[in-house]
Amino acid sequence: MRCHGMVSGSDSRFYLCTKPTFFTTRSIPDSSYFRVPLNIQPPKPVSSTRPRVVPLKAKATIADGFVTEATEMSFYELLGIPESVSLPEIKQAYKQQARKYHPDVSPPDRVEEYTRRFIMVQEAYETLSDPSRRALYDRDMARGLHLAFSARKRYQDDEGMEYRSEWKNRWQSQLSELKRRSMNKSSRGNMSWGARMRRQMNDSSAEL
Amino acid sequence: MAEPAYTVTSDSETNGEEKSSSAFPETAIGIDIGTSQCSIAVWNGSQVELLKNTRNQKIMRSYVTFKDETPSGGVSNQLSHEHEIFSGAAIFNMKRLIGRVDTDPVVHASKSLPFLVQTLDIGVRPFIAALVNNVWRSTTPEEVLAIFLVELRAMAEVRLKRPIRNVVLTLPVSFSRFQLTRIERCCAMAGLHVLRLMPEPTAVALLYAQQQQQTVHENMGSGSEQIALIFNMGAGYCDVAVTATAGGVSQIKSLSGSAIGGEDILQNMMRHLLPNSESLFLKHGISEIKSMALLRVAAQDAIHKLSSQPSVQVDVDLGNGSKICKVVDREEFEEVNQKVFEKCESLIIQCMQDAKVEAEDLSDVILVGGCSYIPKIRNLVMGICKTQDISMGMNPLEAAVCGAALEGAVASGISDPFGNLDLLTIQATPMSIGIQADGKTFVPIIQRNTTIPARKELVFTTVHDNQTEALIVVYEGDEKKLEENNLLGYFKIGIPPAPKGIPEINVCMDIDASNVLRVLAGVIMPGTPHPVTPLMEVRMPTIDDGHGWCAEALHRAYGSTRDLVTVQKKI
Repeated sequence: MRCHGMVSGSDSRFYLCTKPTFFTTRSIPDSSYFRVPLNIQPPKPVSSTRPRVVPLKAKATIADGFVTEATEMSFYELLGIPESVSLPEIKQAYKQQARKYHPDVSPPDRVEEYTRRFIMVQEAYETLSDPSRRALYDRDMARGLHLAFSARKRYQDDEGMEYRSEWKNRWQSQLSELKRRSMNKSSRGNMSWGARMRRQMNDSSAEL
Repeated sequence: MAEPAYTVTSDSETNGEEKSSSAFPETAIGIDIGTSQCSIAVWNGSQVELLKNTRNQKIMRSYVTFKDETPSGGVSNQLSHEHEIFSGAAIFNMKRLIGRVDTDPVVHASKSLPFLVQTLDIGVRPFIAALVNNVWRSTTPEEVLAIFLVELRAMAEVRLKRPIRNVVLTLPVSFSRFQLTRIERCCAMAGLHVLRLMPEPTAVALLYAQQQQQTVHENMGSGSEQIALIFNMGAGYCDVAVTATAGGVSQIKSLSGSAIGGEDILQNMMRHLLPNSESLFLKHGISEIKSMALLRVAAQDAIHKLSSQPSVQVDVDLGNGSKICKVVDREEFEEVNQKVFEKCESLIIQCMQDAKVEAEDLSDVILVGGCSYIPKIRNLVMGICKTQDISMGMNPLEAAVCGAALEGAVASGISDPFGNLDLLTIQATPMSIGIQADGKTFVPIIQRNTTIPARKELVFTTVHDNQTEALIVVYEGDEKKLEENNLLGYFKIGIPPAPKGIPEINVCMDIDASNVLRVLAGVIMPGTPHPVTPLMEVRMPTIDDGHGWCAEALHRAYGSTRDLVTVQKKI
């Protein structure tokens, strides 16, 4: 549960890695995998009108468009649901999205994209299907997220104790450092939650 | 045979072109290789059908006998009597031996089988041999399984009148990734391509998802999520799964499993009938094997009878002067197997805890596998799950293979006009995967029961100043002690000189939907946004045999000079 902070990286990096992964099933772009493992979005399946043979360039363009859209998505948007839904509806939406994006149902040449998208859907589901994590996520969204701790991070701090109690001290020693960093970037304008998170993660890792 | 009807159906779909260029145009068959029994099933265009051998059996014994020059297996072989399997010439229980080393307790328990299992107790593959014309002829579990699979394949090809290449196999939850590679190798030896390896209860879960969807269709129901617990216990293994199912999607929430099964129950029974049986049979002479076979058959028979009657009279002449004449009642039987039943209970409880479900949350409890006939097993499952209703209308011996056949059809891209194949299994990893760090500690990176595909990463750093290398030693398991987990492989990564704690060593684990594990590692130095050296990407497992001593050898060679510690991930 610890490594949820994978939806990260800057938008520019994201474009960097779109092209190579689009046509190979396994390549992991060197420069970006640490912080952008999930950023390559599959285009939304364009229903039955999806062209069978698209020139490579055209395909990439389509992907870029959808990627921009998907990186801005909230967990609710990833599951295709409004923020007011109940738990059973979240579960149902998750299964619907899984039917859409699970790599098992992907066209053979787009397994990689579908895998990445599915992992994002999974993360959204895991957060929203857990009432306490969802509450934290909602609160952060409502606040426009001024804290460095996302709902996910805080959740991990709590959950992690079970098997990582010996790491606790190490974690706490870094808390003050993290708080200090978060002070420096509390104003992020009107970006979406996801974009803000990614920006933050990227900034702070660049600071190292 | 003409092109089967189903390709026409799939061609009418929007992505017909992709389908026809796909590497798997045929319907993959499902195979359930059990420790003691085996079956094959296939989607025949409208439903799942179990294939029968020439003797009209759907369920065949899993064994290979080396009596003549050409070995023959339980698919085609006609046995004159059950004793023949236990004559020393036949190898069985392959599934309990495959991919295990000779220090493994499961291998040691197999030494009382009526063929030769030799151990040197140094962590290498055990030596197994069949008695052919009074000579112990050596073989390997992989070879035996491959011979058996060749027979299965030939039988299926005759029945289906087409070549068979693609298969979906069901396997125990507790199989290590190393054991999975052995199974894949056996299939390759038999000319079969593994499309999927499914944990057995997840195959049952898929069948359940299909049945549930059909019911919903018929009743026009809401199709809301149903939580089911699946308990599957055969001769070799006990597996449990909790699945959340709706609309044909089976989401595996948790898995647990162990190498306990009917074989353990049988051995306990044999020990109960003849207390010194193990030491007696270790000699493995012709007469001992004969006695062992007689005892085995008698014990097996008694266990079967105790499922339907409160006590059983065992009367057997072991031929070596000792006669057993004993009445065994159900209470005694349950007492000698108490540990087995306790383990079953703990597997169910653990699985429910991992899935975060209570007995009240369970819509259905499904009990399958040969051991599901044992009253004590039924009672303990009903007790924990607080239900009286565990009959799901599924055949306990056929459920897993039917699920595998469904997955085979789905994975082959077959579609069904009635929606019977609108199914999806969302699998989970049965075991945690991590590396050695923080001293000799197992640090999981992917926790058990994580949904796959998955990608998780963790940051580590060096423990010494100017440490120029780090050793990434990858394990799988959930044991507290590092060395009790399964070693999957290891590699080194170079690090530029720096004070300890400065380099960031990022270790990422990636499992794709086909359950292929890749471990990626890279080093980032402060002030540089990009990795300083090319990343390492290693497909695991890399080890060629299940050698726990590799880890010891590494420790001897390197000590702690290349160790890592975990780092709180920077936000």
